[in-house]
Amino acid sequence: MPSWRLPGALAARLHETARADRWDVPVASFAAVLERSAGRAFATSPDSRELERHLTSLHLEDLALACACASGHEGAWEHFVREYRPLLYRAADAIDPRGGSRELADSLYGELFGVVERAGERRSLFQYFHGRSSLSTWLRAVLAQRHVDRVRTTRRFESLTAEDGGSKEPPQHDPDPSLVQAGGVRQPHAERYVEVMRRAVSAAVARLTPKDRLRLGYYYADDLTLAQIGRALKEHEATVSRNLARARRDIRRDVERQLRDQEHMSPGQIQECFAAVVDDVGALDVTDLLGKRKDSRDERSKERPEGASA
Amino acid sequence: MPDHDRDRSVENVLRHVLSDGASSQKQSICPDAETIAAWHEGALGTADATAMERHVADCSRCRALMAAFIQTTPATPVVESIWRRWHLGWAVPLATAATAAALWIAVPRNTSLPTPSGESRTVSVDAVAPAAPAATPPSAAAAPPALTQTESLQVARAFAIREKSEPASEQESASKPSEDQRAAATALSARIEADKREDANSARPQGAAAPEAAVAPRVATVTRAATLREEIAIALTEIVAPGGTARWRIVGGRRIERAPGPGGEWASALIDAPDPLTAGAAPSATVCWIVGRRGAVYVTADGMRFVRVPFPEMSDLVSVTATDVQRATVSSADGRSWTTVDQGRTWSAGQ
Repeated sequence: MPSWRLPGALAARLHETARADRWDVPVASFAAVLERSAGRAFATSPDSRELERHLTSLHLEDLALACACASGHEGAWEHFVREYRPLLYRAADAIDPRGGSRELADSLYGELFGVVERAGERRSLFQYFHGRSSLSTWLRAVLAQRHVDRVRTTRRFESLTAEDGGSKEPPQHDPDPSLVQAGGVRQPHAERYVEVMRRAVSAAVARLTPKDRLRLGYYYADDLTLAQIGRALKEHEATVSRNLARARRDIRRDVERQLRDQEHMSPGQIQECFAAVVDDVGALDVTDLLGKRKDSRDERSKERPEGASA
Repeated sequence: MPDHDRDRSVENVLRHVLSDGASSQKQSICPDAETIAAWHEGALGTADATAMERHVADCSRCRALMAAFIQTTPATPVVESIWRRWHLGWAVPLATAATAAALWIAVPRNTSLPTPSGESRTVSVDAVAPAAPAATPPSAAAAPPALTQTESLQVARAFAIREKSEPASEQESASKPSEDQRAAATALSARIEADKREDANSARPQGAAAPEAAVAPRVATVTRAATLREEIAIALTEIVAPGGTARWRIVGGRRIERAPGPGGEWASALIDAPDPLTAGAAPSATVCWIVGRRGAVYVTADGMRFVRVPFPEMSDLVSVTATDVQRATVSSADGRSWTTVDQGRTWSAGQ
């Protein structure tokens, strides 16, 4: 809670704007929520104009609803159930069409209701909503967060089980591209070339802009479609495609330059470096990590970015 | 090895590097769900948004989170402006010039349109586009009237309906049309040309028989062009909250888009508008009133969801001023006005 106090007149006006009286939220309670929200935005006491600008930019009606739900207001909760539960389920089904995330949505629903009691105080997840986004977007973000954390936890658990001897399968390693090359016949220097290529590509990726790295990550690691990447970055999918193709071309040129200037390789050696990884399909697939459908890649094959290899 | 094979090699390595390499970099603390949500909605400041983008680009967990989040996002297509395609870039000045010429020929200057009253916070098209082109200097034509910070500015940039004698460079520097504006103007220009052709064709058989009949298509064209000019105004209406903390725009007369702050991304707001929307006013970054034809009045308190406000008459509303989510005054095309102090539950006329 910040050290400064919200002016009473401003609190009353925002309370009215938020129509918080619909849910019987007292002005004082709403003011406390607003102060908490502003406290997160400003490290020090803000001037009055800055404070007002911040507070009026909040999703006040959603904040009032969250405030009422957190305090257990029956009408507010009914409204939330009617308006937001379908949204939560739709989001869960979109993340996992097999219904695996419904369970997450239900547990989230419980946390929102505030089943945990601490020192007689109702603790609701709504207390972490400060109105900077709409309530629906926040709910989807929380659900996505839970989903990813569950997948990663499961992955770690499975990995530990395998290391403890729980699995008879040999540990999974990346297939050695040098063995894949030329029908399983090991090529001279192939392992070194693979390592050099990894290093060079990593360096080239690090030199890209964050947006380019993000675009590449969404496409190559997270298996998003061009349209989904477009939605994430507010770009048309044709623009995504062009930018991916450009970034990949930039990386190739950067790698070629590194091999020539830093590794002092001859054109023939550079050629061998690229050849060493040309058939490497990759073993660490984040599609598996995130439990996504395997066929997403097939769908995506129809929408390769410009100039991408098949 | 050809370039495309080398690209394939790069792609193979990229899958490894981006999957396991991203998380190896030193990371800042992962953002909470609300920051992620606010980032997606474009509600973060520039510095925060840049920091978020950098973090997510290099943190495999947050990137995976965003990937899952995006799957829950309803598919709203992002329209790529045709002007971004390099091969159509040449068409921008051409289309603008054609639109300006077509409208200049077709539309007589209408100086009798009602201008907003002193209290009105809206600026009509003709307030921006001067009524007497030759008499008004280009800089004055482009500059919107001085408005106070608390006023909501509705800028209908009828950039094409400007000085036909205005040098191109001055036009550009005075008011640079957005891509949407260019596209709207071009589409409307094409429609005007098509209408002209249609009228000319329909006039041909009658033209020789009766001299008055030859005038009719011209009148029809002028009327239609006037309607189209009005459509331009509707298509390009922009409403700015005090201090520029948020902007709304009426797109195509029936859709509303909102952008947080001056550089924010436009996102579609929720509105169900069967009748064309004409004007708006925004007293704060989240409150916006929109009016339209046949008594259409809408208001949003969260910036994105507009609700229809009851209105007693089917008048064509052309302007609105508002002080908050409860209080607004709307005006009709015939000069009448109504005021509400309870978000439309009651209206009083003539105030």
